[in-house]
This record gives sequence, C-alpha cells and structure tokens, in this order.
Amino acid sequence: MVWALIYLQFHSFKNRTVVRVKRLKQPKYLFGAIVGLLYFYFYFYRWMFVAHGERSRAALATSPDKLALYESIGALVLFTIVLLAWIIPHQRAALAFTEAEVAFLFPAPISRRGLIHFKLLRSQTAILFTTLLLALATRRFGNHPWIRGAGWWLILSVLNLHFLGSSFARTMLLERGISNWKRRVGILSLVLLSAVGVVIWARRTLPAFNLMEIENLDGIQNYFQQVLVSGPVPYLLFPFRLAVRPFWALSVPSFLSAVPATLLILIAHYWWVIRSNVAFEEASVENAKRIAERVAAIRSGNWQGTKTNPKSKRAPFLLRSAGPPAVALLWKNLISAGQVFTLRLWIILASVTTGVCAIVWNSPGASTIVQIVGLVAAALIPWSLLIGPQFLRQDLRQDLLLADVLKMFPMRGWQIVLGEILAPAVILTGIHWFLLILSAGVFSQSGGAGFGISQSMGLCAGLGLAVMLPMLNLIVLQIPNAAVLVFPAWFQAGKEGPHGIEATGQRLIFVLGQLVVFVLALIPACVGGLCGFLVGQMALSTAGTLLLAELCAAVVLGIEAGMGFMLLGWLFERFDLSAELTS
Amino acid sequence: MLTKLYGEFVAVNELSFAVQAGEVVGLVGPNGAGKTTTMRCLAGIIPPTRGTIRICGHDISVDPIPAKRLLAFFTDEPRLFDYLTVQQHLAFTARIYQVSDYGPIASVLLEELELADKKNALPGELSRGMKQKLAIACGLLHAPKVIYFDEPLTGLDPIGIRRMKDSILKRARDGAAIIISSHLLHVVEEICTHILILKNGRKIIDGTIEDITQKFSEQSGDANLEDVFFRATSDIEKGPPVND
Repeated sequence: MVWALIYLQFHSFKNRTVVRVKRLKQPKYLFGAIVGLLYFYFYFYRWMFVAHGERSRAALATSPDKLALYESIGALVLFTIVLLAWIIPHQRAALAFTEAEVAFLFPAPISRRGLIHFKLLRSQTAILFTTLLLALATRRFGNHPWIRGAGWWLILSVLNLHFLGSSFARTMLLERGISNWKRRVGILSLVLLSAVGVVIWARRTLPAFNLMEIENLDGIQNYFQQVLVSGPVPYLLFPFRLAVRPFWALSVPSFLSAVPATLLILIAHYWWVIRSNVAFEEASVENAKRIAERVAAIRSGNWQGTKTNPKSKRAPFLLRSAGPPAVALLWKNLISAGQVFTLRLWIILASVTTGVCAIVWNSPGASTIVQIVGLVAAALIPWSLLIGPQFLRQDLRQDLLLADVLKMFPMRGWQIVLGEILAPAVILTGIHWFLLILSAGVFSQSGGAGFGISQSMGLCAGLGLAVMLPMLNLIVLQIPNAAVLVFPAWFQAGKEGPHGIEATGQRLIFVLGQLVVFVLALIPACVGGLCGFLVGQMALSTAGTLLLAELCAAVVLGIEAGMGFMLLGWLFERFDLSAELTS
Repeated sequence: MLTKLYGEFVAVNELSFAVQAGEVVGLVGPNGAGKTTTMRCLAGIIPPTRGTIRICGHDISVDPIPAKRLLAFFTDEPRLFDYLTVQQHLAFTARIYQVSDYGPIASVLLEELELADKKNALPGELSRGMKQKLAIACGLLHAPKVIYFDEPLTGLDPIGIRRMKDSILKRARDGAAIIISSHLLHVVEEICTHILILKNGRKIIDGTIEDITQKFSEQSGDANLEDVFFRATSDIEKGPPVND
C-alpha cells in the first residue's frame, strides 16, 4: 500500500515538473525562467560555490562562547515556535490533504497509519525545498553548505513531526474534556513559572540590568548572553539546543557528534506521531475543502477569500443611490480593504505616534531620536510609493475574474477604471499624508534637523508634496492595472501562486517594467516643475517658488493621470474577456 | 447579423433575431453551439466581431450605457463580491444603476426571494441557491426591460425551480423581453413562447414553439420540443425550413 502512495507522490511530482518544463515553450514562461535563473544565480549560486571560502568562513569564525549564544538563540526561537503550536491552534487534528486525495485515499482500504506515512512522505518535498532555500539564505553563517542543509533538514523535520504530534495531542486533550483555554492556561502557567525562575536567578546572580544605563548594544548583548548560556536557561532549552546543534557545527566531526542526539529526537517524534490514535479524517475533509477554497480565492486574486472566517465589514460611508457610479466601486473596494485598513487601525496608529512623539520631544537630549524618526518617516514616503501598489490590490487586479460583471455595468470604461483604482489610491494617500505630517512635524520641531530648511520652506514643501502625492499614487496604481489589461495572460500566470523560478522571473520583469514606466511618467512632471520654478524665481520667495514648482508638477501629474484613465478605460472597453482569460 | 470569431474559429455565424416585450425565447443547442457566446455578446460582455445588437433601440456597441441600464444577465454561476453582504450588494447595485429610493424595491425583492433574514450575510455564508437568489435580486433591482438567463435553474431545489419559473413568467407578463439559454428542454417548452435553436454558431430554427412543433408534427407525427431538437440538430437537411 505504501508503494501506491509513493507512486502517487512520485508521479505527481514528475508530472508537475514536466508540465512546468513544457510551458517554457510559451515566451511568458521562458523569459520569466531566464530572468528568474539569472536572479537566483546572482543572489545564491555565486555566493554558495564561488565565494565560499575565507570570506564566508570568517563570518562564523567565532569563540565557543559566541557559538553557545547562537545555539541558545536558535533553541529559543525553536522553543517559541513549538510553544505557539501548543497555544494558538484551536481546531482538532487535521492532516493537509487535497480534495482529490480525500476522494481517492479516504474511501480506499488504507490504514490511518498509512495515511500519516503518506502525509509525512509528501511533506518531505516541501521540507527539502525549504531546506535548500534556507541553506542558501543562511550562507553568511559560513559553515559548510551540506552541514547547513542537513541541519536545516533536521530542524524542519522535527518541527513538522512536532506540529503533527501536537495537533494529535491537542485533539486527545479536547476529547478528554480539556478545553483549548484550559490547555493554554496550563502551558502558559508553566512557561511563566520558568520565566520567573530565570528572572530570580538573573537578579541574584548577575549585575542589575538597567536599560537607561546601557549606552551601547554590546552591553545588552553581554547581559543576554549570560542569561542564555549560564544558569537555568540552557537546561530549560536543552532538547531545543540538541535539535539545532547540527546546524551550528563548524566541522564534519562536530556535526557527526551532534547528529545522533537530534536523530533520537526525530525518531521519538516519529514514534509519538505514529502511535497517536486520533481520528483526523473528518477535520481533514473540512480542511481539504477549506484549502481548495483558499487556493481558488488566491488564484482569482481575492486574498480576502483566504481568510478562514471573513467577517462582514461596516461600509466606510453611506452610499447613496444617486451620484457618480464610480464612487460605488470606491465604496466596494474600501469595504474589501476594510479587513486590514480599519478606522480603528488609523486611530491606534495616530494615537501611538502622537504619544511617542510627545514623550520623545519632552525628553532631554532626544533630538537625535527625533531626527531619526523624521528621516525614517520621510524615507518611507518614496518607499511606500513604489511598494504600496504591490500590497494594495483592491482594484482591477482583485476584480479581474469578475470582469464580466464589471463589463455589464452601465458605465464608461474610464469610470470603471477610476472607481477601481480610487480605493488603493485613497489608502495610500492616507498613509503618505500621515508620514508627511509626522516628518514635517519632527523637522519643524527640530529646526530643520540641521539641513538649513526654514519653517516656511518646510511648510511650503510639505503642502506641495501633499498635493502631488495623490496624483503620484494614481499614476503608480495605474501601471499595474494597465499591465493587467495589456498583458492579462502574464498577470494570470503571476496569480497562480508563488511557484517556480519562472514565476519569480515574471514578477521581476513586472517590477522592472513598472519602475521604467513610472520614471518615464515623472519626466513631464519634472519639466512642469522646472517651469514653475523658473517662473517663481522671478517673482516669489524661495519657499513660494518651491510651492509653485510642486503645484505645477502636480498639475502635470494630474493631467497625466487623467490621460491614463482615458487610456485604461479605452483598453478596458476593448478588453475581450473570451480571448484573454481563457488563453 | 451577429458574428463572433475567436481567431479562425466561428463561434457565432450571422445570427439575426428579435425578441419583443413579453416574449420568452428559449435559446437551445448542443454543447459548443454558441449559446453562451451569443448571450455574452448580447449582454455587452464581449464585443461582436461583426453585426449590431440593439437593446430597446440602443446599439450596445455605440451607446452602451443606456443599453446596459435596461439589461440584466443571470449566469448559471452567481457572480458576487465575496466581501460585500447581501445588503451591501443591493446598495452597490443601486448606485451603479442609479436606482433612486431603492429601499422599498430591495425589501420587496428580499422578501420575495426569502433573503430578508440574510441581509448581513456574506456570499460565503449563503448556500448556492441563496447566492443565485442574491444575484437575481441585484439584477432585478433596476427593473430591467431585457433579461438574459443562462441555465437559470442550475443548483436550485424543487421549490426554488418553481419560484424561478414563476418569476420569469411574471417578468414577461410585466413586459420584459426574456432570453433563456438552457439544456433543459422540458423547462424551455414549459415557460418559453419562442425557441431559437443554434448549431455550430448558426441559427437552424426560430419561431414560436407551437408553430415549430406543429410543423414537425405535420412531417412525422406528434412531436414535442425534444423531438424537434433531436431532429433539427441531428440532420439539418431533413428539418423544416428556418422561419426568419
């Protein structure tokens, strides 16, 4: 029976690979694969096999004390992950099967143990792939790639078995009348007890810790190093240290001496999982259905659909039946975004920032921190301008699969595109204005932060930017939406999930293309700004000139955005769903 | 004469017909006959390659907004926004179609479609039949004059089927022009006044159900719509002449 499951696993993997190789005949996948391979080559391969040597080895050429510290930190992270696995979940044990696997395997004469073996076997594909990525990503630690890889494999395999075992154990506890909350309180009490023990020991043994008196990071590091490598913590984290020890081995002998203990933990976990006699079938069937729904939702670009229990959200404002119909799309998409960008979130954010700023401003000698806050806020504006549209997708990208519904609306193409893009533009503008107010406030308080900017100049620059940013947001959001309409097949491929080098390459091509288009769109605005600047210089003060230049640039950006909407509307009206979405 | 090409493939070939107010036309044909493509062209979802589609006198390609204001298209799979509740779907539709004072109309529709107690539910919390009803409520909110149904009875329980049939007939009595695409010939025979049979994108039969069944009966004894369909689609040469 196991061979049938191995057969299924092997051929699923093989056929998936063949399909992906075959689709390289299509240019969109071929170009994506080439770019993706180049990316991986420059990011990983070069470092792994070419630069591996003195440079990387030097990274981990540390003392045994440091190594013990790293090991303890690793053990602490592992402990936290395991702890969360016991505290957060509330469902009964469910193995991740696809709907097809449920349909074929559950009615088949396969024992429960056989199904667990299949699940373990299948999870190894993901574990091996993750191992490869993590081994490459952690190359800077400098030990041998194979030791690193084997170390990661052991950690991930132990974790995988522990997640499974803990889910069985949680189910058994539920069956014996121990509710989720009782379990959580019990575990957290134990953790709290241990933490209290560690604190008491640290207070009695180590010199008093006062954050305000420690001037550099070394002081904090030394303190926590002593807490982690001496006293009760190493004993409390002992099994976790054993699990991570092979990863930190610097040589083959030290790796070989660390591996037996980790293997023992692995075998113990395997025995625990296999011996657990817990009914997981019913929950697994539900889980398979949920997974299928989530995959369908992700493929349709609807990330809201990935939530297990999406809640209905209150409308951001009362939508009247009269008025521009594009506002209805804004309203709809704001509701969609409301799962994340709630009014409560904005209030909390504003309150926390105001509070922190007030405390910092009133602290003596806090001008450096104030300046850093201002600079970070200012730097976040251009960063979010470029990255924001990748996260805020409550526009045509979300609704592409409902494009037939949109096409039936009695609206012009440009009205639909405008309505679709407005919601992310409004949210992004809100974020930008918040950052702008923060940075302007900080700079005005710190007298221009040493940049020689007068208050009037700062105010004018801020006002001009506040007018420019909504226009810029409309343009940056138009670019990915235009890509959806011009290259829908590519966009479709991008949504099918983060699988494969070719998908990574496609995303890179898109990001690069968006950047180029954005830079091109800025050129006329720069010319407009320059004209405003030259005119202003003849009659206005420096601050007034700056404001005029920014306003001129904003007008040009506004005209560009308007033309962009007309163009996108034209594209939308000619967007042939039957030809595009089925290709 | 409506024509729709996908590259070289002719999905709909020089199709021409008219539906008057109060008529219910059954659009039938074997798989791949071009029914769904025809419906999607008629609804303005996909552009025809050639030809003109007029909705109450408005050319849907040239003057789409007034044409679409008079339209409703119900697909076999309800197309809803996952994150809008039942109530929000109606508010959204009212704004899109500019239905002033939609509240009382929405209440009547929700009552009629047994959705009144599901106002705050998301589509994910509704059964398939309920989703279908919500799509219908949204589609009927602006009192369309032209209604298309693509397999309207899919997924409905027997009570839902009965109600749907009654609802279609009521809309027709109220003066709407209705086109129903379906494979369920007994349903088409029961509720449609006219029939349009397509095969390979071409119209092979068009006329009232009585006329067509009578013509086939004269040729080869008593014939119901199913007999007509099989004879017409299996061998065009032997069928009666097309009624234009």
